Amino acid sequence: MTDPTTAPSGTERPDEGPNPGVAQISHGDVRELRGPLLVMGDVDDVGWDEFATVDFAGRERHGLVLEVDHDLVTLQVLEGTDAMAPGGVRVRFAGRPLRIPVGSGWLGRVCNGRGEPLDGGPPVTGDTTLPVSGWPLNPVYREPPQEPVLTGISVIDALTTLVRGQKLPIFSVPGLPHLTLATQIAAQATSGGTTFRVVFAAMGLTHADIAFVRDRLEERSAAGELVLLINAADDPVIERILTPRIALTIAENLAYTEGHDVLVIMSDMTSYAEAVREVSAARREIPARRGYPGYLYSDLASLYERCGRVRGQQGSVTIVPVLTMPAGDITHPVPDLTGYITEGQIVLSPEVAARGIYPPVDALSSLSRLMRSGAGAGRTREDHLDVAAQVLAALAHARQSAELAELVGAAALSETDRSYIAYRGLLEQGLLNQGHDDRRSLEDTLDRAWSALAALPRRELTMLSTEFLDRYLPSEPEAT
Amino acid sequence: MTGLPSGSDSSLAPLRDSMHAAARATAAEILDSAHTQAQALVDAAQLKAATILAAATADGEAAAQSESRMRSARVRRQAHEAVLTTRNALRLQLQGQVRESALALRTDERYPTLLDRLTERSRMLLGPDTTVTESPDGGVIAEAGSRRVDFSLPTLAAGTLDRMAPEVDGLWSR
Repeated sequence: MTDPTTAPSGTERPDEGPNPGVAQISHGDVRELRGPLLVMGDVDDVGWDEFATVDFAGRERHGLVLEVDHDLVTLQVLEGTDAMAPGGVRVRFAGRPLRIPVGSGWLGRVCNGRGEPLDGGPPVTGDTTLPVSGWPLNPVYREPPQEPVLTGISVIDALTTLVRGQKLPIFSVPGLPHLTLATQIAAQATSGGTTFRVVFAAMGLTHADIAFVRDRLEERSAAGELVLLINAADDPVIERILTPRIALTIAENLAYTEGHDVLVIMSDMTSYAEAVREVSAARREIPARRGYPGYLYSDLASLYERCGRVRGQQGSVTIVPVLTMPAGDITHPVPDLTGYITEGQIVLSPEVAARGIYPPVDALSSLSRLMRSGAGAGRTREDHLDVAAQVLAALAHARQSAELAELVGAAALSETDRSYIAYRGLLEQGLLNQGHDDRRSLEDTLDRAWSALAALPRRELTMLSTEFLDRYLPSEPEAT
Repeated sequence: MTGLPSGSDSSLAPLRDSMHAAARATAAEILDSAHTQAQALVDAAQLKAATILAAATADGEAAAQSESRMRSARVRRQAHEAVLTTRNALRLQLQGQVRESALALRTDERYPTLLDRLTERSRMLLGPDTTVTESPDGGVIAEAGSRRVDFSLPTLAAGTLDRMAPEVDGLWSR
């Protein structure tokens, strides 16, 4: 057992070199090529999850060991096995799991899903290497998430505040601007007074989307605050299994060794899960729901649980995964299992988008379970939590009033119900709707919430103390 | 049919006048109301037009700013990529020089000793039944069954350079 007192972070270990000589031997006994899998024979002294280099026809591909059975080894080839023929393939096993160099050399770089440069530069180097699968973090050394990460996006900052060390997914459906939102978060997010870094892992994105993300994040990249890992839609699918792991390994080092607050955005995790499904199908595993493997939960947890804060260390890793729910089905295995692991969700809704609101967040379905640790007096503003509760309660009432108005007509509603409908309009246009480049301060965001609340009779604002009402409530509702 | 009795005209005159007056008053009211409604419609339309114009101006300004930022971002990226590409070209140049230097070892007087040591190392890794042949690029290639060890000079040079990557990187980044 590891002495917990000597390894508080659980993320740093001495750089373990491979078994000398092992990496120099290449094996040529290919028994089978099956989808992304390569089965080798006459191999010994190879371990599970070991990294391998596959040479064929003067080209180099990469693989990970999935199974070892006597002298048979099954590899998943990250770039796929297209164009490979059993005769000309040679495999070199590294004698250890895949490790990547870590450090600030990644900042400002744009790499593919395996961490190889796409920006024309040399490969990223570092004095230390770490295994991409990460080290299990001693639970005793975990610190609860605390302090906000401010995104400059009103609906998130005000109503579902992101907290340092939290994992908060964005649930969306195809066609909604989830990538625009994720990119805006990546471009704008900060945490008070500390150095902030962003690792953006893009999986299965089209080239148009990639161009958009690169343009929007250029400012942050030029400032040396961003690492961009890109697996395009036409890149090898299996690479996607590695992309979030590389992103998190880079992030852990930046956070726990270099002391930065790091935000990791992973978009789109449904594409990642599809890669897991593809490998599982090739291995002929028994499929569980919708063909995904039964271990999808633990696989996703092995990624999401790498966020957090560690006792005695300055930095933090905050994760925002983006998921598209096929056919908007929130019970689909990927959002369903993600929901079990993460601490809340930001839900995007086609109905909200249809009303011309960006970001189209369904505020009543969204929740940040750790908001209390990141908002309120001493963290954001004294009235923040109460205002958020009042805004949501009033929004729920407004939704009921609107439904009633559809039945009986707006003219038949009471004065109070009409004020709730007016409040919803003000809230949507004043607070929830925002420009793609618009970065709002928290003060501005909360003031906008108060302006919308001013449309309601004061007697309806039961969640706010008289002191707060006197201090913050505008005397006249502001037209927006 | 008989007409009204004589004298009824003058008797009905007040009624007629009153009805005329009432009709005129109603018409005036309707006209006023129509004017008011028309004015309200015009005011509302003007307000809406002003709002649309303001929103369109704001959208246009935002789009122009966004486009300007995008262009500036692309130019910055091109500049950054030019620096990175130059670094990579230097790295590849170094790689080529190291390979050339490694190949030149074939004419070094210590080369036979190097071959002996590489052969010995190959047999240590693959076993005594290993077939060892000299590589055309210098160094040796050893094979035992499906296993092979590539100790050719370019491969050894490339491997060494890879292991020294952080040190090499320092040549232009520190």
